[in-house]
Amino acid sequence: MKSISRRALSLYLIIILFLAGCGLLFYNLVSNSSDWAMNRVNQHLYSSGNLATAGDITDINGNILASTKNGKRIYSDSKNVRLATLHTVGDSAGFIASGIQTSFKDELTGYTLVDGVYNLKRYGKGNDVKLTLNSDVCAVAYKALGNRKGTVGVMNYKTGELICIVSTPTYDIKNKPEDINTNTTDKYEGIYMNRFFSGLYTPGSTFKVITGACAIENIPDIYSRTFNCEGKILIGEGYVICNGTHGEIDFETAMNKSCNCAFAKIADELGSEKLTLTAERLGFNTKKMTVSDKITCAKSKLDLSKSKPLDIGWAGIGQYTTLVNPCQMLTIISAIANGGIANNPYIVSEITNPEGNVDFTEKTSEMGELFTPSVAQSLNNILRSNVKNGYGDWRFPDLNMCGKTGTAEISDDEDAKPNALFVGYSQNEDTPFAIIVVVENTTSAIQSAVPIATAVMKEVNRQY
Amino acid sequence: MQRIKGRNVNLVLMLFTITLFQLICFVSLITNVSEEYRSGILITFGGYLLVEYAYFIGARMILKRKGFEVELIAFLLTSIGLSITASVYPDGILKQFIAVLIGIFGFVLLQWIMRDLKLCTSIRVPVAVIAFGLLAATIVLAKVTNGAKNWVYIGGISVQPSELVKVAFIFVGAASLEKLQSNRSLTKFIVFAFGCVGALFLMYDFGTALIFFFTFIVISFMRSGDIRTIVLVCTVALMGGLLVLIFKPYVANRFEAYGHVWEHFYTSGYQQTRTMIYSASGGLFGVGLGNGKLRDIFAATEDLVFGVVCEEFGMIMAGAILLSYVALLVYSIRHSKYARSSFYAICACAASALMLFQAALNVFGVNDILPLTGVTLPFISRGGSSIISCWMLLAFIKAVDRSTYRYGGVRQ
Repeated sequence: MKSISRRALSLYLIIILFLAGCGLLFYNLVSNSSDWAMNRVNQHLYSSGNLATAGDITDINGNILASTKNGKRIYSDSKNVRLATLHTVGDSAGFIASGIQTSFKDELTGYTLVDGVYNLKRYGKGNDVKLTLNSDVCAVAYKALGNRKGTVGVMNYKTGELICIVSTPTYDIKNKPEDINTNTTDKYEGIYMNRFFSGLYTPGSTFKVITGACAIENIPDIYSRTFNCEGKILIGEGYVICNGTHGEIDFETAMNKSCNCAFAKIADELGSEKLTLTAERLGFNTKKMTVSDKITCAKSKLDLSKSKPLDIGWAGIGQYTTLVNPCQMLTIISAIANGGIANNPYIVSEITNPEGNVDFTEKTSEMGELFTPSVAQSLNNILRSNVKNGYGDWRFPDLNMCGKTGTAEISDDEDAKPNALFVGYSQNEDTPFAIIVVVENTTSAIQSAVPIATAVMKEVNRQY
Repeated sequence: MQRIKGRNVNLVLMLFTITLFQLICFVSLITNVSEEYRSGILITFGGYLLVEYAYFIGARMILKRKGFEVELIAFLLTSIGLSITASVYPDGILKQFIAVLIGIFGFVLLQWIMRDLKLCTSIRVPVAVIAFGLLAATIVLAKVTNGAKNWVYIGGISVQPSELVKVAFIFVGAASLEKLQSNRSLTKFIVFAFGCVGALFLMYDFGTALIFFFTFIVISFMRSGDIRTIVLVCTVALMGGLLVLIFKPYVANRFEAYGHVWEHFYTSGYQQTRTMIYSASGGLFGVGLGNGKLRDIFAATEDLVFGVVCEEFGMIMAGAILLSYVALLVYSIRHSKYARSSFYAICACAASALMLFQAALNVFGVNDILPLTGVTLPFISRGGSSIISCWMLLAFIKAVDRSTYRYGGVRQ
């Protein structure tokens, strides 16, 4: 009898194994709960693969961008708003990965580990998400972009709120084109991508702001230097070509005229190490930015590890292999506007639960000091001088605009059209907004990107 | 008299709590089901509560029993199973209830038989013959249903003989004290065991075959304590298993999704992934009985019933169910020291280990921690043969408690 009960003790081994299995089971369940519950076949949340029951998405003024009516997702009444906010709001089937309907579906459906989908059963909907977007500004930006591909982003540089994000090509979510997945022309190329968050562009001359910052930080007498521009300059074993022949100019004029010779020379003098150091401090190569904790941006790149002097010259004027992400570039420009301090950009302003209580309110948070106050002030002066003495204040009435254009060559092909960029911001206290405009395959920046910035900033000035 | 440390649970308090839970389920069922099924549910739950109370009052008043842990667990788990069956198949609830009644009757009957050790010894061989005969008949008579050949239809009622053979298997396997250490009797059991496991293999019922094999290991270890023999038997079985996989590759194909069910989302991983999706949807407290969606998936009330519990009753209840199988085995292990006969000790440990193992195959199978074998979750899955078998196995666990046969005593 003793021996039997002793042997019985070994059955505790089975219990231990069983409990270990249970531990694994609940660990899997708890750690994957949200992913599993959010699966598209989950009939609690989806109807034929489309998010059916979810809370409202509104813009900063409470305008409905997405809502649920009779078990179907409905969107803004205005077609232009639908087209302009498509990528930010996202679709209900998850094609647009960075859209709020995909990245915030836990919140929108009200799913939590503790209650499961019970809130949805109880209230018939999840939480409401209020965005920082201003749908009117978005609609203006979309109309200004028209049928060209590109993106526009506007951010309050004092708070980090993103009030405008538009990415084209876009489509009307109410009438999704039938040939969207089968059309083989480039009509719908990257249509599901939000170019503002996921795009990477050759920055062209907008990168001179960064090269300029590096020069101010590392060359003490940069303001007393002069540069001689003869239309091209020999760096290492080749020439960097300029957009004109500027003659003898100083640093500020070089920025005003966007002189390639001057900046290629400056980049050559700074060298790859210093340029890379500055760029990486601003976030290049190092980290992927996240917006509202859930939306991940593409990482900007500056790789000079295998570059020859000529390559560094080209990189200094935003060519070579340099790539920037629009959201990250906008954050850098915002830091200059904000005295050197960058704020974390965000898109979700408030989350309200079905009982009407605000569960979450986003607050401004500092990302860090990207520039010292004096460097930021110097850059601020130069960028202001660009608009004042270059592009012309008439383009941005009453805005005290600062900015820099960029026309980026993206191919060695003679017929290839460049990408046009504009980054800038208003110095006014009541319109503390920074803007980035990217237009793909177009003409020069002053002809294509700047008019879009003008239209959007005018609307911003009208609204704020 | 030696007593186990710790006090018996308070019967009245526990019974009250369980009844409250059962009434909540009952009310939620009655309010959600259509008119035509209300009488069936009323009969089932009314009858079930009646039997439950009759059992406890009878055992307490007439048999003067004090410990009721085992039955409380079984009555609770069975009512969860009945609630889910009533909710998903309201038209089939009476059939299930009748099976539960037969099971409880079998539980009482087997307890009564087991008090007479001489009787047990004398009917062991006939039981073994009948059990093996049942399995053999199944192979001949059964048609393949859902990949396994384990259902026999008798007059419109489908029976799974292998479930009942589980009870016989333990009954035959557990020897009384005087037979212990005798290699000859162990050899006979090994032959019987391999006969049963082999028959189950021929039915393609690998899950049940595995359960029998596991139970066989537990019983032979409890009887002989001979680890060498067990290692040898396991090695032979493993090689046999490998041979099956080599010569019958379609057997392995059945388990191809194991470990990566999400890649077989619409095919062989369908049931597992749905179980996980809806388990997560339930949260800690569930979406409520009748509000689930997993119930629409094939075999929701049988193989996937654990997922239904997670979804509709919540993860806490699901965890409590898993712990109750553990409790049964712990109960058996602790009481085996004071059991009135080694026969009881071996029976109880084997029966509770079998249930725990079967629960593991079921629960871990649908959650992709083990391959999906399609066995039932004891007491909870729908199915008459299964519930009868579970209640009869419970008699083995009950018998290990010294106090069970205090009144009237054990007949040596």
